[in-house]
Amino acid sequence: MCFKNRRMFLVRIGGLFLAFLSAIGNVTMFSVNSIVSGIMPPYYLKQIVQQAIQIGYFSLPVVGMTALFAGMAMTLQCFSGFSELTAENAIPSVVMVAMTRELGPVLTALMVAGRLGASMTAEIGTMRVTEQIDALTTLSVNSYKYLVFPRILTGTILLPFLVFIDDVIGILGGYIVGVYYLNFNAANYIHNTFASMKMWDVGSGLIKGAVFGFWICLMGCYHGYFSKGGAEGVGRSTTNSVVSSSIMILLLDCVLTFVLF
Amino acid sequence: MDYVIRVENLKKSFGSRIVLDGISLNVKRRESYVVIGGSGSGKSVLVKCILGLVKPKSGTVEINGQNMMHLPQRAIFQTLLKCGVLFQGGALFDSLNVIENISFGLIYGYGKSIKEAYRIAMEKLELVDLGVEIAKAYPAELSGGMKKRVALARAIATDPDVIFFDEPTTGLDPVTSGTINELIVKCTKEIGISALSITHDIKSLKRISDRIGFLYKGKIIWEGTNSELTTTDNPYIRQFVDGTPNGPFSH
Repeated sequence: MCFKNRRMFLVRIGGLFLAFLSAIGNVTMFSVNSIVSGIMPPYYLKQIVQQAIQIGYFSLPVVGMTALFAGMAMTLQCFSGFSELTAENAIPSVVMVAMTRELGPVLTALMVAGRLGASMTAEIGTMRVTEQIDALTTLSVNSYKYLVFPRILTGTILLPFLVFIDDVIGILGGYIVGVYYLNFNAANYIHNTFASMKMWDVGSGLIKGAVFGFWICLMGCYHGYFSKGGAEGVGRSTTNSVVSSSIMILLLDCVLTFVLF
Repeated sequence: MDYVIRVENLKKSFGSRIVLDGISLNVKRRESYVVIGGSGSGKSVLVKCILGLVKPKSGTVEINGQNMMHLPQRAIFQTLLKCGVLFQGGALFDSLNVIENISFGLIYGYGKSIKEAYRIAMEKLELVDLGVEIAKAYPAELSGGMKKRVALARAIATDPDVIFFDEPTTGLDPVTSGTINELIVKCTKEIGISALSITHDIKSLKRISDRIGFLYKGKIIWEGTNSELTTTDNPYIRQFVDGTPNGPFSH
């Protein structure tokens, strides 16, 4: 009996491991198929422009507000800690480094994953369960090229832009709190913000943004593309998409930080 | 014999469940072939296997003489350009309006200009008895019957050699069903498009079919013409056509 239980336990572990490997294989094949079909002509520019507007333009309010409040809160938190060490002058540069290296890319990616990853999965998933993806194929249109590639391309290119905007607004939020609430000298604050700034701080954040953008769109499309089971299935896929994107954003952030610094 | 669709020993299973167990059927040019069978008998899977939307386990599928099993993706798309499909739920693209839906295959598949594609789309819209006033409407604003007609217009927009009808009258009222049947007859008899339909609507079947195949337990167990359907003493056919609760199906 005990042997049987142990065997069952090992069978389950083995099954989970195989499922994990299978998932990695499926995601890899999905991304390769999408990219290979996408780079071959004809190009669906209208789709790319539409996705650029969705991902870039319509994400701005959410990303901007998140960055503003994060920058403000960061400055307040820093002040309460740094003032005890009489290190208030370091606050602007700490806010700048935190925003450009970490908070900017991670917050932007999490917000975009919640907003766009979910909507991509829901849209493509609904298309799957209502046979619209099958209809695309029967109309001789490659669904990877038409649906997936434009999203992955624009996500990868535009997320760094959103991260940059997030960085600027976050630093601005810190400036507003620092100057108008904590009574820092405006010129000093600006000087301290940029005095210790390195291009790599911003650049590394943008690289992270591109990686996160690729992953969010890949997960959004992948979970939607393989949705099944009607409305309930699409709901489940949407949840899986957001959860897998969010976890991977934090994991990739950790890995990229090790690699880039 | 000039066959537009030729299926040979087609097999498909999902896990241990065998759905198609060696199906063979042929659809002649300008013929309307209808596959009937109970719910869950694998009719939709059969059509999806023929179109390459579902990968069969084994067998041969030829459309216009092209073996779909051994073609590269690009050639499959070329072959599909000559096929129209009317899906059960219409499968209209939610994000596109009626005219964009109908002209989709012309623009993205055939590479026609938007102006030319819209002109053809308007012609097809009239062919399915819909007015130009719905051209800018979105699928969500249309009734079930209108969606089916728009989907039919999209299916015939590319002047296909063969159309696949997946349950064309399911979920429609008798009058709208009759209209859809007449449109299908118009496509097959007047325009001369071959058709492979699947249905369990007997009234529709009698109106649109030239030849019928009965699908049961993954096999075509009976094949015949419309008139043979009414005279056959095959107990499966009799029970299915008469809709009686007692018979071989029940066992």
